[in-house]
Amino acid sequence: MLKNYSKFVTTLFCGFLGVVVAANALTPDKSFSEMENRNLAQKPVVSLNGLLTGKFMSEYESYVTDQFAGRDGWTAAKAAIELASGKQENNGVYFCGGSTLITRFDAPDAEKVEKNLTYINKFAGLSSVPVYFGLIPGAATVWADRLPEGAPNYDQKLVIDRAAQSTAAQFIDLYTPLMEHKGEEIFYRTDHHWTSLGAYYGYTGVAGALGLTPVPLTDYVKTTVSTDFYGTVFSSSGVRWVRPDSMDTYVPEDGVTVTSYTYDAQGNPVEVARQLYDESFLAKKDKYAMFLGGQQALGVVRTGHTDKPKLLLIRDSYSDSLVPFLTPHFSEIHLIDLRYYKQSAAQYIQDNGIDTALVLYSVPNFVSDTNLVWLGR
Amino acid sequence: MVFSSVFFLFTYLPIVLLLYYITPLKLRNLVLLAVNLVFYAWGEPVYILIMFLSIAIDYTHGLLVEKFKGRGEDRKARWVVASSVFFNLALLFFFKYWDFIAGSLAGMGLTFMPRLGLSLPIGISFYTFQTMSYTIDVYRGDARAQRSIVNFGTFVTLFPQLIAGPIIKYKDLGDQIDRRTHTAERFASGVQVFVVGLAKKVLLANNLGMLWDTYKALPAGSLTTAGAWLGVVAFSLQLYFDFSGYSDMAVGLGRMLGFEFGPNFNYPYISRSLTEFWRRWHISLGSWFREYLYIPLGGNRVGRGRLFLNLMVVWAATGIWHGASWNFLLWGLYYGLLLAAEKFFLGRWLERRPVWFQHVYALFFILLGWAIFALEDFAQMGPYLAALFGFAGGGLWDSGFLYYFRAYLPMLLVAVLASTPAGKGVWTRLEETSKKLVLPVLLLLGLLISTCYLVDATYNPFLYFRF
Repeated sequence: MLKNYSKFVTTLFCGFLGVVVAANALTPDKSFSEMENRNLAQKPVVSLNGLLTGKFMSEYESYVTDQFAGRDGWTAAKAAIELASGKQENNGVYFCGGSTLITRFDAPDAEKVEKNLTYINKFAGLSSVPVYFGLIPGAATVWADRLPEGAPNYDQKLVIDRAAQSTAAQFIDLYTPLMEHKGEEIFYRTDHHWTSLGAYYGYTGVAGALGLTPVPLTDYVKTTVSTDFYGTVFSSSGVRWVRPDSMDTYVPEDGVTVTSYTYDAQGNPVEVARQLYDESFLAKKDKYAMFLGGQQALGVVRTGHTDKPKLLLIRDSYSDSLVPFLTPHFSEIHLIDLRYYKQSAAQYIQDNGIDTALVLYSVPNFVSDTNLVWLGR
Repeated sequence: MVFSSVFFLFTYLPIVLLLYYITPLKLRNLVLLAVNLVFYAWGEPVYILIMFLSIAIDYTHGLLVEKFKGRGEDRKARWVVASSVFFNLALLFFFKYWDFIAGSLAGMGLTFMPRLGLSLPIGISFYTFQTMSYTIDVYRGDARAQRSIVNFGTFVTLFPQLIAGPIIKYKDLGDQIDRRTHTAERFASGVQVFVVGLAKKVLLANNLGMLWDTYKALPAGSLTTAGAWLGVVAFSLQLYFDFSGYSDMAVGLGRMLGFEFGPNFNYPYISRSLTEFWRRWHISLGSWFREYLYIPLGGNRVGRGRLFLNLMVVWAATGIWHGASWNFLLWGLYYGLLLAAEKFFLGRWLERRPVWFQHVYALFFILLGWAIFALEDFAQMGPYLAALFGFAGGGLWDSGFLYYFRAYLPMLLVAVLASTPAGKGVWTRLEETSKKLVLPVLLLLGLLISTCYLVDATYNPFLYFRF
């Protein structure tokens, strides 16, 4: 190579490094990533202890990568390159036809499934009221025919059957009503949750098991609250070439109040008013949190039908869009999230005059959950 | 710290290059030593003490060897060499093999060695071999003892080859440590080799590694014969591009800092015999064992029985060097036997066979070898090997195999092509002007696409939001 050309190559390389370094230095640090839905690492403080243990180094590396300029763009470019190279999945998400993204589901840890089932049996034994238990199949199973040809996919029906066979609670079949309507838009194409329509079909399954007559869908008017929802699967896939989802609601909010019970910074219990539909979330990335305002340890939905029974719902986030359909049948619906609520659920039933308990999880959450152990206390 | 990370590429490397080149020539080794130590301490700060100890001990041993030799006290010089070899092997044994031996003994009911559970200091397999060769080279008169402890420390800790080689003998590097030239030509050629290595590691090795991980994780009952072969092919390509990519990056970084390291890989998968394979695979390790173990044992100039024994010793050592686990020993002995067979009769027979047959022969045994190498657990290795030979729990193939085969076919084709000299052939035939136009485009593409993959690897959506 000639001297001048070598200088050019050297400059090119150093220039590339320099531009990236400068871009990183110039873009201000962010505290939160909407796309990844988590707090980003901040510049760590130098300390002797941190240096000696290596904690500073690992924190600094996280800081550099978390704050990398154009992080979401690089990730999107990688997904596009994967597609171009013939891949039909990226970061554990299958590219399916019709602008649909479906999270891959692999064989679960059988031991963990058995353990979680035991915790629910324990709860059924401790509870003074009837306990119902249902598992919601995810899109990977209900929409299995939309997956790429031959794509490895563990059948969630196997988990559901195992649960139905071994549970001491009264089992709710949610698989059948969802499969009957699998041709409809019952899951979001870009999010792992069911849509309000899917939740309605789930509700018919719940109502059937609880001996309630479901309100016909035709009694409700569909309201489209958003047409540009990009969900969690969209985020984790890196895929940016799909159409956004629409979000609908069916049940009117009239007369329903929601209270979230939490603690303030000093550890004192406080009550925060919430709504069945908190439309302020529609302006954010995490639009699904519109239903009941997202995560909470303990929430109570009061409907005004004071003559109706009280329901305790041990839940994951799928239930947030199901609750509106349950409001005509109960006076109060108490929602417990076991990730944050660490007291005895059986005791809660006694203290609050609960009439029916319902444990409802999606299969992917159920097989990986580590908090069901709290139900046995 | 690894080269294929956002932090290395966009924080550590720019700082190193900047510091290195603004420093006057005379002080550059001091800067290099400092950044080497930062590099080493980055992952496991405590182990830097072992590094200091290693430097101090080998530095004094080298000086002592030279002193005794100068006085004609050969016996004493030999004792010092023995002491250095002992110290380095003891260090390696303690950190790498103690728990392995303790665990194996415990398996036989002998529990006098407690398991320590120490993490392996990075690069210890590489730098103990380098420092061992130093005192031996000084004793043999192949190199002069290094008087400057800064220069010696720079040799031991040189970050481009500190954690994954190539294993560089002091006699090949000593002069460059003392004096080297920095030219734009060398830097630019370093850039090219580095970017090629980065792309090999990030784009090919990591990608194919995911395919191998899939097959490695399959339970024996659902493994198919086609899938087992696809898995082992993916692993073979992953390992080659991972390791040779790392070596390329080392060579490239070395050139950017004015060094010239020898090549470590030379298209190993085009070999026509296993003897040839080992002349092309991890060259620096093969030559180390030849020079410091095989030849001292007598090399080729011994009787057949002794030669066989020597080969088995060398290959058992080579095998266990790769990791403290029985399967690596088995893998070493597997090569020991095959290479002995080639030396004694198979090689001559093979030469008279058609070329395609020689390739098939070599690739078959190389792939089989990698299956032994990759599966540390014998309970897993047995069914996997059986699946390769048609005794698979899941039959010959299944829809999962077709899915993965289709999805990875373009990547596999690129990787197979890249493991032959075809690309190099096309490149050398290009006209000088076209080269000048294509090179910057390829370099930038390589850097940009690799960066996409590196950033994506740290993309870590919060798990709870899947709730």
